[in-house]
Amino acid sequence: MFLAILKRLLMLVPVLIGITLLSFLLLQIMPGDPASRALGTRASAEELEAMRQLWGLDKPLWVQYLYFLRDCVTGSFGVSIFHKQPIITLVAARLPFTLAIVAYSTVIALVIALPFAILAAARRGRLTDVAIRQVFVVLIAMPPFWLCYVLILFLALGLGWFPTGGVGEGFLANLYRLFLPSLVVGLSTAALIQQSLRAALIDTMQADYIDTARAKGLRGREIFLRHVLPNSLISTISIIGVRVSWIIGGTVVVEKIFSVPGLGSLLIDAIVSRDLPVIRGLTVFFAVMVVIVNLITDICYALADPRVRLE
Amino acid sequence: MTPRLNMKALLLASAVVLTGLAAQADTLRVAMGFDPLSLDPIASSDNGSIWTQLLIFDTLIRPDRTGEGLEPGLAESWTVSEDGLTLTFKLRDAKFSDGTPVTATDVQFSIERAASEASGWGRFYRPITGFQIVSDHEIVMTLSEPFTPAFNNLALFAAAILPKAQVEAKGDAFFDAPVGSGPFMLKSWTRGSKIELAKNPNYWQEGKPHVDEAVLEVVTEPSARVIKLEAGEVDIALDPPLNQLQELDAKDGITVGQTIPYRADFVQLNTTRKPFDDQRVREALNLAIDKDALVQGVLYGAGKPAASAMPVMAYADPALAPYGYDPARAKELLAEAGYADGFEAELLVDSGAATSRNAAIALQAMLQQVGVTVKVQMLEGGTQWETTKSGSYDMSVSYTTSDTIDPDQIIGFVAVNPERANAYHTEWHSDRLNELYVEERKTLNGPERGAMFQEMVQILHDEAPYIFLYHPASAWATKDNVQGFEVLPTSNFRLEDVSLAD
Repeated sequence: MFLAILKRLLMLVPVLIGITLLSFLLLQIMPGDPASRALGTRASAEELEAMRQLWGLDKPLWVQYLYFLRDCVTGSFGVSIFHKQPIITLVAARLPFTLAIVAYSTVIALVIALPFAILAAARRGRLTDVAIRQVFVVLIAMPPFWLCYVLILFLALGLGWFPTGGVGEGFLANLYRLFLPSLVVGLSTAALIQQSLRAALIDTMQADYIDTARAKGLRGREIFLRHVLPNSLISTISIIGVRVSWIIGGTVVVEKIFSVPGLGSLLIDAIVSRDLPVIRGLTVFFAVMVVIVNLITDICYALADPRVRLE
Repeated sequence: MTPRLNMKALLLASAVVLTGLAAQADTLRVAMGFDPLSLDPIASSDNGSIWTQLLIFDTLIRPDRTGEGLEPGLAESWTVSEDGLTLTFKLRDAKFSDGTPVTATDVQFSIERAASEASGWGRFYRPITGFQIVSDHEIVMTLSEPFTPAFNNLALFAAAILPKAQVEAKGDAFFDAPVGSGPFMLKSWTRGSKIELAKNPNYWQEGKPHVDEAVLEVVTEPSARVIKLEAGEVDIALDPPLNQLQELDAKDGITVGQTIPYRADFVQLNTTRKPFDDQRVREALNLAIDKDALVQGVLYGAGKPAASAMPVMAYADPALAPYGYDPARAKELLAEAGYADGFEAELLVDSGAATSRNAAIALQAMLQQVGVTVKVQMLEGGTQWETTKSGSYDMSVSYTTSDTIDPDQIIGFVAVNPERANAYHTEWHSDRLNELYVEERKTLNGPERGAMFQEMVQILHDEAPYIFLYHPASAWATKDNVQGFEVLPTSNFRLEDVSLAD
């Protein structure tokens, strides 16, 4: 197991080199000059040139790329042009909020999805099943920005149960303040989990080993808790894995509306201001996160299902 | 019954105590749309950073509330010599928030730093070539040749006065926990989220700030700022969505205000291309646009029609009226120029700027009325700039804002050719205007210099290398108990003047 994980980590190296090269080259094609963004449109040619020199933008491309690689290896991921701070520092300040939303929304999703998946599987094909499916399809289809505003209007402005946005200090304050944004993200995760878990439960219930268990004389509840549910949850692991990779950089809309200083809004702001080092550094950082999340997912998978081996 | 009554009394009493405490520690909460990037004045060009810096630092002189004149800042008085080459400042008895006095040494250090290679604003201060410290409270600056804007530029945030000893000792780290002589001091800064400020106990304006603390919350989504105000989580929401202004104003407990900042929106015309090389065509395009309708439709009434590409600022001629709406006359002019059947042209617009996009669609409809068929081309902002700069465009919706109160910066940008942007990429040029530009920079502030600016703007208006559109307003919304808040024409705000009524 340990060796397998080490092997997977080593395989990361070529992947990362590919990612750094790609993100570097793509940004070269992107229009817009960071120097003119920083100095405003009224800067003179000499001032722009001085700024480019200061940031090393006048160096040959391959030199710039090597600098970038050096920054990735030393762990700073480069220095932001506008914030004037190492990118890792910017990420460190925002990562907790993003991770909090990842974890919180996943918990919310599981709490919502599990009972409804079980109920739907148990009442397969009947009115309850159909009704539940319709509701969750609507949840998937609902645009997050709209759902954000609806929740704000009813739960924050109307009933006053929650703040309209922003983050607080400390665990409890954020448990309260991040509830609405996590709920928005969690609802669509819940919809994904519910659909797949329901299908998996139905599949498993028809498996031969369930018949065996029944023939052994196990009671229905025992069969469900010991055989059906654990075996069906395996597919949920991979869905959560994919979803988590997405949430890490993909919750920009929710972050913007609820004023959560997460990684998504950092990336968007960097793109708007053409803060090239931040865009590059974040791209690589996101890629690393996705690879790590995938690895963790695979490990969980292997732990949950003895037939799967980490190779 | 008795215990319950006591409980109630207890609750009431504690409520009274709590409100009492709250009244003692007044906190003003402001939702703003920009995330400050840096608190180093010479390295900033974004609104969030500039607004925050102006609450923490002071400048020698500062723009007054009208935005057209100057008033004392750290300098309580000043003189400018007849030849404009010597500026003498007398400093007031001010202290930095840590209690150390502000001296002439700090002034020299700060201005030299603003003029240095590392400064994004160096060209504003490099004309000042000599400093002479007369005493701790008096400093003389000298110029090697006359350059009138240099004086006004001292009112810009980039010329903020910093404590020399601390900046030299701490280097860049100073700006993570800066010390200034402004009304507030930095208490905490959570990047991307909020800046907490506390009253500077050593501030030189007696009795100010009125509030004990101020929080600038970063809320980049305009609707979210309004929601926060309505929920009572902030006292002031800056830049609410323009289409919600009227509705907001009608709400109980909320007051809306607006001001016209130094900004002008226009359409650049590429005068190297036909038919825009013909002044009659450019005039016709200006007459074909119903500017009042644009202000109503695109800005929801928050703004006013523009007579030129210059923001309304010092020396503006109040008598200069925008082009009227006269499609019939526009058609005549087009016919005279040989375009009786109109022509086709492409209009560039920044896809990320909602207001400009709406304006482009309206322009397309209005120009169609006089036979001009416009194809709207949406581009990313950076690409739009590169495209107009390279000169491969017909028309482009754009705008300009002034950083300083001296109109020299923007006239040089939008009307002078050759200069930094060759009349903002229109490539239009006027010999007379170029001459006046050189003269104006050597002429002392006063009516004579004012007349030069008025003539330049008149030439710009008459020869129309742009379709002049409007000056959009900056709006804000506050709770009714917020008193004394306004956004200045320079776009920033003075929280030291704000108080919270009970």
